[in-house]
Amino acid sequence: MGLVTQRLETQVGTVEVQRGGEGPPVVYLHSAQGEGQSLMFLDRLAEHHAVTAPMFPGFGESEGLEQIDDMDDAVFHLLDLWDRLSLEAPCVVGLSLGGWMAVELATRYPDRVGSMVLINPAGLYLRGHEIKDIFGRPPGELAEDLFYDQSHPVAQMMHALNELTADVGKQIEIPFEMVKPIVTTMAATAKLGWDPYLHNPKLPKRLWRVSCPTLVVHGAEDRLIPAAHCTYYADHIPNAHQEHVARAGHMLPWERPDELADLVRQFIRRN
Amino acid sequence: MRVFSFHLMPYPGLPDDYDGPAWVTCPNQLFDPQLGTQLYNRYIDELVYAEELGFDGVCVNEHHQNAYGIMPSPNLIAATLARETSRMKIAVVGNALPLYDPPTRVAEEFAMIDNISGGRLIAGFVVGGGPEYYSFSINPAFAREKFQEAHDLIIQAWTEPGPGEFIGKHYRLRYLNSWPRPVQQPHPEIWVPGAGSVETMEFVARHRYAYMGIPYFHFSVFERTFGMFRDICREVAGYEPDPSQAGWLTPIYVAETDEQARAEYEPHFWYWVRKLLPGITIQPPGYTTVRSLQNILKGAAHFAVNLQTWDQVVEGRYAIVGSPETVTEILLDSLERLETGNLLGLFQLGSLPGPETRRNLELFSSQVLPKLRERFPDGVPMRAGVDAEVQS
Repeated sequence: MGLVTQRLETQVGTVEVQRGGEGPPVVYLHSAQGEGQSLMFLDRLAEHHAVTAPMFPGFGESEGLEQIDDMDDAVFHLLDLWDRLSLEAPCVVGLSLGGWMAVELATRYPDRVGSMVLINPAGLYLRGHEIKDIFGRPPGELAEDLFYDQSHPVAQMMHALNELTADVGKQIEIPFEMVKPIVTTMAATAKLGWDPYLHNPKLPKRLWRVSCPTLVVHGAEDRLIPAAHCTYYADHIPNAHQEHVARAGHMLPWERPDELADLVRQFIRRN
Repeated sequence: MRVFSFHLMPYPGLPDDYDGPAWVTCPNQLFDPQLGTQLYNRYIDELVYAEELGFDGVCVNEHHQNAYGIMPSPNLIAATLARETSRMKIAVVGNALPLYDPPTRVAEEFAMIDNISGGRLIAGFVVGGGPEYYSFSINPAFAREKFQEAHDLIIQAWTEPGPGEFIGKHYRLRYLNSWPRPVQQPHPEIWVPGAGSVETMEFVARHRYAYMGIPYFHFSVFERTFGMFRDICREVAGYEPDPSQAGWLTPIYVAETDEQARAEYEPHFWYWVRKLLPGITIQPPGYTTVRSLQNILKGAAHFAVNLQTWDQVVEGRYAIVGSPETVTEILLDSLERLETGNLLGLFQLGSLPGPETRRNLELFSSQVLPKLRERFPDGVPMRAGVDAEVQS
């Protein structure tokens, strides 16, 4: 059972939303990689839940990035989406950048988040446990930090892109269609997380405001965001606990779709 | 035709076994302050020498945290030059506007240099190179907005009676009141360097500023770039551009014979390509629009960092190297094809030492420069028939 892509008018412009399944509502907020299309994890979730996966402005076909400057604007965009999709207080599942966005929403508007699943979430600065750079490195190097299994098709594609760009003597011209999505998604990510780098310095002192049950899922082999970040969230959000998934890196939904879907389903059933 | 001597102030002392980038993360333990003292003074002398040799001006520019150009503050150098020279123009190309907060500082410092020099400043405004956005942690997604807004602020500071107010998205100044004011009224001549970004060209065209093509591309890229700029002047801004609105920056080396020129120059050229360029092309996210990136990528494969052989250098005119006759011939042909009214020569490049640099400047000014002036007495290189083509 796949999700169906819809277009939705919002305050900032037309955005792409994937929807499917029936049951308690779940919203998935993607990472800076812009995953969502044919993501097996979402198909699994849709077997028991009404899944909504919006593409943030700048990602996929979603417009309106010029209306968004920072996380404040991002949170207001989520509220707008919630209202237009008649989502009162869904379970919000977010990966990395999406996890950070979920926390920003839950600290500011706790009554609009029924429960929350944070997968390798960004959003914090922990001295000695810095998030590695995602903006200035060759794609192949980034793939090493994102994936536990370098033979994953997406990791393979990133390594291939690396070889294309690394050998400057080849004087190749990279097809523009290949570059364009990377350009726009990274521009969107830069707006939210260039400086401060993928965190909000005010977030730690606001975590007490999260009122919903929270599950923090940590990919045990995540080399992008150190384990201390998941633990910090689990320790400082009032009603949170943490699960570790073995043989999974940062891109956990890509690497362990079944296991992650089971965790989310059990978590929602318990609450 | 105006001819300028441009200096990058490169760092020639990177070790042979260093193969990392020259930008952002190039370890600063590789900088030797003893060598630095020699270099800065030598480089300033080379710039000052240009006045004696009859150049119309000199150019300096701004780069941070790198070995390619150790001039994080071109304004300091320009202020020194303002005192050490008396006639020629001093072009700061430019100040990277988004790196100044508030940009009032640019209005003030440029006005100071214009005052000290008695109205000899050419004010360059630049968005800043990609690496600068890493080095200063300035958000590249707002690079264009900040550049635009900082520009408006500086022009207001120079042209409207203060105290005034400037309330923008990125800069908010309740009291904008620049002391001093520039000597040149309404403001100094403005140059904007660009690498092919359509937005930059449109901006320059609308304001009738001068567009300086960012160097180190195959000659065909410059032909396309300057052609695009002229088209934009005509089609977007609705006027016929003057050649003084375009400047071509290129490395130049003159020696007695072609063979001698290549032998003396080539090792220093490759130091520049292999040691100082790596890392310069980094494109931070959101720094250019998709539309402009498309145009920039067209030239990417023709950028000097890809050079492998001297034949490629000669064929693509990445550097104009040879006897006075050879250099004259190539420059005349190039200037006629590009229709640029400003020639910005880099007479020192990479690890080229002081004596060679001075002799290069001397040979160029005595044997090449007069021929350029003779051919373009009005300062206007125009191809015969170009006007007719335009009008038809």
